[in-house]
Amino acid sequence: MENSIYVALSHQMALRRQLDVTSNNIANVNTTGYKNQRMLFTEFLEKPGLHEKVSFVQDRAVVRDLSNGAMTQTGNPLDLALTGQGYFTVDTASGPRYTRAGNFHLNDQRQLVDAGGLPVLANNGQPITIPAGTSDVKVSGDGTVATELGPVGKLNIVTFKNEQLMTEVGNGLYVTDEQPEPAPAETKVAQGLLEGSNVKPVVEMTQMIELQRQYMSAQRMMDNEHERIRTMLQRLGRSV
Amino acid sequence: MRSLAIGATGMIAQQLNVETISNNIANSTTTGYKKQRAEFQDLLYQNFRRIGSTSSDAGTVVPTGVQVGAGVRVAAVARVLEQGNLNITDNKLDVAINGSGYFQVTLPSGDTAYTRAGNFKLSPEGMIVTADGYPVQPNITIPNNAVDISINSSGEVLIKLDGQTATQNVGQLQLATFANAAGLEATGDNLFMESGASGQAVTGNPGAPGFGRVTQGALETSNVNVVQEITTLITAQRAYEMNSKVIKTTDEMMQQASQMK
Repeated sequence: MENSIYVALSHQMALRRQLDVTSNNIANVNTTGYKNQRMLFTEFLEKPGLHEKVSFVQDRAVVRDLSNGAMTQTGNPLDLALTGQGYFTVDTASGPRYTRAGNFHLNDQRQLVDAGGLPVLANNGQPITIPAGTSDVKVSGDGTVATELGPVGKLNIVTFKNEQLMTEVGNGLYVTDEQPEPAPAETKVAQGLLEGSNVKPVVEMTQMIELQRQYMSAQRMMDNEHERIRTMLQRLGRSV
Repeated sequence: MRSLAIGATGMIAQQLNVETISNNIANSTTTGYKKQRAEFQDLLYQNFRRIGSTSSDAGTVVPTGVQVGAGVRVAAVARVLEQGNLNITDNKLDVAINGSGYFQVTLPSGDTAYTRAGNFKLSPEGMIVTADGYPVQPNITIPNNAVDISINSSGEVLIKLDGQTATQNVGQLQLATFANAAGLEATGDNLFMESGASGQAVTGNPGAPGFGRVTQGALETSNVNVVQEITTLITAQRAYEMNSKVIKTTDEMMQQASQMK
């Protein structure tokens, strides 16, 4: 008898999670290389009786919008953006991590590091070190880092068969069990640019309004259902 | 509710963004100032349904999980070391660095600080000092009877004495460079201090490989592009508004839940 309330409740719980995802998108509207996330809902069927079916809703997955974010010019020679598919590789104590955020810096050993201080790896698996005494760092489209004394390494730019399988670990980093593959030839590194977040604020705001209204309508349905059950019980009680 | 906290992280991050931008705008005419930029990173993610977990006995693998992020934070306020414009002042003791490097300044405490602001003056003893009166290293004293001072692009300070035609060398300006100059610690008053991130100072004469040249009679302006800062400010303000809207929406949804019969 209370099935409709449970269905509405499953809807409300899914909507709350969706609000969490949407608000995370909005919070990251200025985060370098952030990819917009979208929640995927599925129907969850249950057969409480012989001939009836009740369908609940379930939040099945969070998928990332992998489109490129807008590029902004920063004038910083160590700001790198990837146009097209691909990820930079950074080194951590627990293995390589992948990132789209190319706001790199030098550390005190003149190694190229990301905003969190993790070394950016070259395609030979080693960090890239800019020789002392050089000041002019040039990164060409294929990822070759060079100074006025010549090339010092080539950035390890990789891609994966299924990018949706990559897991976010925060700080703009992703981890995956998949084997990295070389990025396609059309992927280019742009120097002095940063890839912004690909969150479309207007879409997120409308989404938020919509989910709030849906939440309200689920609420109203539950209230109505509650009223219906109460009236029914009152009427049945009177007739006795 | 999670979204309440997520909205708050967004507002806090944007607040810091606005503070960084306003400091850039406030220093848009500060000699040798280098602009700063707030860099954002996403926070940790919580797995509600882990990627790669199995969804049936047959070993079907979930292609994408349910991961909800916890918001945003400012990872770094990075300094952009782009060269500022050279502003011609025709003041003999104004020196601009064209390229990389910092002037070294002796603080009253005896420590060495570094600066790009070359608006030097003479002390009562004739020593070249900064606008705050701190001596520039290596110390250079200009005799009282000097009528002309010239500083060449490699930092040699030459003077001409009254009644003489030949110039004489009274000192050499030196510059310091760092492995990671963006890692210097700013202490205000246009001064920077060496830090663990910057690496040790390497000194050399202007014009040597890796060191910039100096230009007399010019000052390096701040590298703040005001138009760019204002547009970033607008973006930051809108982002702040959107995050506050997230909090409002969450609040309204919580209110509905609490008013349930």
